[in-house]
Amino acid sequence: MNKNAFIISVLLAFFACFPVLFSNPYWIGVLNDIWLYAILGLSLNWIVGHTGLFNLGHAAYYAVGAYTAAILSTRYNIPILWLLPVAGAAAGLFALAVARPIIHLRGDYLAIVTIGVGEIVRIALENDIFGLTGGSNGIFGIPRPEIFDMRIRRPWQFYYLIGGFLLITIWFFYRLEQSRFGRALNYIKEDETAAEGSGINTAWYKLAAFVIGAVWAGMAGTLFAAKMTIISPGSFNFWESVLIFAIVILGGAGSIPGVILGAFLLVGLPEFFRNFADARMLFFGAAMVLMMIFRNKGLLPPLARKYAGVPRVKGGDA
Amino acid sequence: MDFFLQQLFNGLAVGGIYALVALGYTMVYGVMKLMNFAHGELFTMGAFLGLTLLGVFSFTEVLGPFGGIFVLILMVMGMVAIMGVLLERVAYRPLRNSPRLSAIVSALGASIFLQNAIMLMYGARFQVYPHGLLPNTPVSLFGVDIPLLRILLFLVSVFMMAGLYFFVQRTRIGTAIRAAAIDQDAARLMGINVDRVIQIVFIIGPALGAAAGVMVGIYYGQINFTMGWIFGLKAFTAAIIGGIGNIPGAMLGGLLLGVLETMGAAYISTAWKDAIAFGVLILILLVRPRGILGERVADKL
Amino acid sequence: MKKVLCFAAALCFMAAPAFAETIRIGLMAPMTGSWASEGQDMRDIVTLLAEELNAKGGVLGKRVEIVVEDDAGDPRAAALAAQRLATRNVAAVIGTYGSSVAEAAQNIYDDYDIIQVANGATSNRLTEKGLNFFFRTCPRNDEQAMVAANALKSMGFSKIAILHDNTSYARGLADDARKFIGEVSDAKVVFFNALTPGERDFNTVLTRMRASDPDVILFTGYYPEAGLLLRQKMEMGWDVPMMGGDATNNPDLVEIAGRQAASGFYFLSPPVPQDLPTDEARAFLAAFEKKYNKLPGSIWAVLAGDAFTAIVTAIEGAGSTDSKKVADYMRTRLKDMPALTGTISFNSVGDRIGDVYRVYQVNAEGAFVLMNP
Repeated sequence: MNKNAFIISVLLAFFACFPVLFSNPYWIGVLNDIWLYAILGLSLNWIVGHTGLFNLGHAAYYAVGAYTAAILSTRYNIPILWLLPVAGAAAGLFALAVARPIIHLRGDYLAIVTIGVGEIVRIALENDIFGLTGGSNGIFGIPRPEIFDMRIRRPWQFYYLIGGFLLITIWFFYRLEQSRFGRALNYIKEDETAAEGSGINTAWYKLAAFVIGAVWAGMAGTLFAAKMTIISPGSFNFWESVLIFAIVILGGAGSIPGVILGAFLLVGLPEFFRNFADARMLFFGAAMVLMMIFRNKGLLPPLARKYAGVPRVKGGDA
Repeated sequence: MDFFLQQLFNGLAVGGIYALVALGYTMVYGVMKLMNFAHGELFTMGAFLGLTLLGVFSFTEVLGPFGGIFVLILMVMGMVAIMGVLLERVAYRPLRNSPRLSAIVSALGASIFLQNAIMLMYGARFQVYPHGLLPNTPVSLFGVDIPLLRILLFLVSVFMMAGLYFFVQRTRIGTAIRAAAIDQDAARLMGINVDRVIQIVFIIGPALGAAAGVMVGIYYGQINFTMGWIFGLKAFTAAIIGGIGNIPGAMLGGLLLGVLETMGAAYISTAWKDAIAFGVLILILLVRPRGILGERVADKL
Repeated sequence: MKKVLCFAAALCFMAAPAFAETIRIGLMAPMTGSWASEGQDMRDIVTLLAEELNAKGGVLGKRVEIVVEDDAGDPRAAALAAQRLATRNVAAVIGTYGSSVAEAAQNIYDDYDIIQVANGATSNRLTEKGLNFFFRTCPRNDEQAMVAANALKSMGFSKIAILHDNTSYARGLADDARKFIGEVSDAKVVFFNALTPGERDFNTVLTRMRASDPDVILFTGYYPEAGLLLRQKMEMGWDVPMMGGDATNNPDLVEIAGRQAASGFYFLSPPVPQDLPTDEARAFLAAFEKKYNKLPGSIWAVLAGDAFTAIVTAIEGAGSTDSKKVADYMRTRLKDMPALTGTISFNSVGDRIGDVYRVYQVNAEGAFVLMNP
């Protein structure tokens, strides 16, 4: 019996039954946030973990998605779940426009530009750009989502909605990892010059990866808007980008289970530390340092790719 | 014209502080290729320690205003330098040979830890430096009145940066730092003790940050535990714009960022200030992808 | 699957309140993050009031217990804190600081029929949604803006610079003030813009305001920035009067600005406890100072104390902790309840009734002096 398949089935079964076993809406609410950040983490993982693009402004695309969904649903009464693809597309287009000129920047220079884009987006939202975003008050009264005439409002209902979307996300990125596209990105990450030399159009691939990550963040934004029913620029600040980034690196860049575990720890730990009251973020910071020291490639780093017939080379996962 | 000059001086004064904090980022980055997110918190620590020491001993009364502040800043620099070395030992050294991004997350963790430690030690309220530590009469410069303290602040920043530049360019230790920044392995082969170099970098960077912290405390008067995050982000931006790892670059980047945001606020909109500054910086990076003074070197993430 | 979901739903509803010998009151406040000082003051005040109440025998013969949850000043964290309080059998919740943070929790409390009494959430729209269980002890932005417009008019200012900080509170107040100034007088708003909160150097914005040559500056943001503005305004030798909103009411303002720079500064605020003639207020302040060795920082924390008093008075009056009865009592029968910031009554949507605001001025000694009692 395949050990991994077994573990995955057990985990799936456990989390599918979680709201039934533990009816505490608070812990279900915490899990909802964890799922949401896992989705965001997976979308950023595609950019940072697989392609090696240093993006510290992911909250910008998350914000564009959330605001697109919020504006369209409050102004035109479009059911918010229908807006998932629209919000994703808006975030993707925005990423395409922004990333096209900057995608060639290296490492830390790309980081500062993405930070800049994130801050510009937040400030634009705060200043009520085009009279659409409601300024620092944000947008309120976002209608609750509905599925087959069932109104989603309780935490356990969101649990299955967001959890379901997380499963789709995992499936999508897993398939993408296995694809020719995914392999090309890994090649770029490991050695861009060699990839270019082998006929990979690195600029195009990098841009495509960036846009895919942004589209997914935009869709996560829609779920966030639907869950909160009110959004404001404060929810999309630099710290949010940093948190998503830390989820990816701490969990293990490039590894789907790693990113999900990262979301569990970085979103869940502050909740566990609630009993420390004022000191809870102190413990959180210390835990981040310790986890990095003891698992310095991330908690669950990706395994080296296996190819039929080729024996695995030891230490091949650089 | 007066308006422009006044705003230019405003921008240079803010930029001088950004530059001073940026130096700490850029030195650490140059040698370790690490973005030390906790640097902003060391800066905050400097501001708070300065206040504590002032409460213990009235420096300015015993040693005269300038002598007193000079001794105070030196003492705070020393204390924060020790913290910097400890920080490197605990949070960064174990990650020396791991992927670069891991060390960044560790730095973030250290930043959260330090910020909250300061909050728990000193409380969440704003703290206030005593008024009138240094004389602050307005001085007329090119027809514009500028508070003396503002000029002093700027001069001290420039002086410290010049000193650092001299140190790095002209001394043996400075040469070792530059060698380690170019290639740690090669430097080791040349007989340079790289661990030692890193320690020195973690003495100088935090010490400069601490000096900036005390100066901000004295000049602006008001400090709180979250101040490092804002200054840190700005200084980090400045360091990158100048060409990260490059000391004159950090100075130039800091001053440029200060002037840019001031001019954006002065002529366009104060509410859009940071957005304008970031917008221009992105344009600069599109033209100079390695920052203004950055050199073309091959690097990989 | 449907059965499972129904079962889960049933479990959720079964977690209905079941009190023993204590009545739990939740406090949702920023204990960490950049507003932590407010949250910690809120906790200190409410805890002290609860202790005093318990010493006198509690409410309905039961002890009152305060359950504190950190919302970190962040809407997402606030939603979780609200979920958590909702599962911990609280009869009512006090809090929080910040309109967007309070708003993120509003629907959750409403879903669970829990009374929420906000202390530092002044955005007008919070009480315009028809929520049954939402109240606030702080006045609304538009009320304060009206007082500001009238005060500026009666002082005879004709060119007004309005500066805010782009937080939802300050922006809302600034927008309303701009509107009302146009309505009540023919004064002109010559400058309207924002500074970046958390920064230290405001010379740029001051220089720019100076170029628009106003008679007075109305700053609607918070005291740390107000203190720096006063200080830097004096340093640049610009002698223009300045008025602040109630978020500038904090003794630290004078500390930051220095007495010389702060003197003459006007601000609007509900009466500070120091000015209340009642013995209770004075006794409370003395007890607070004795226990914590400090004075309450801002008016918002004191308003959290008033929220506590309103809740326990309503529980006592309604003779029950049933949310509907208590909410009903607060709306219809709780009239002119004496509290730390004056008397409290609520209208049908949960807003505090009455002219709460006063104009204060800082005198040469750095003390806050009431201008129109």
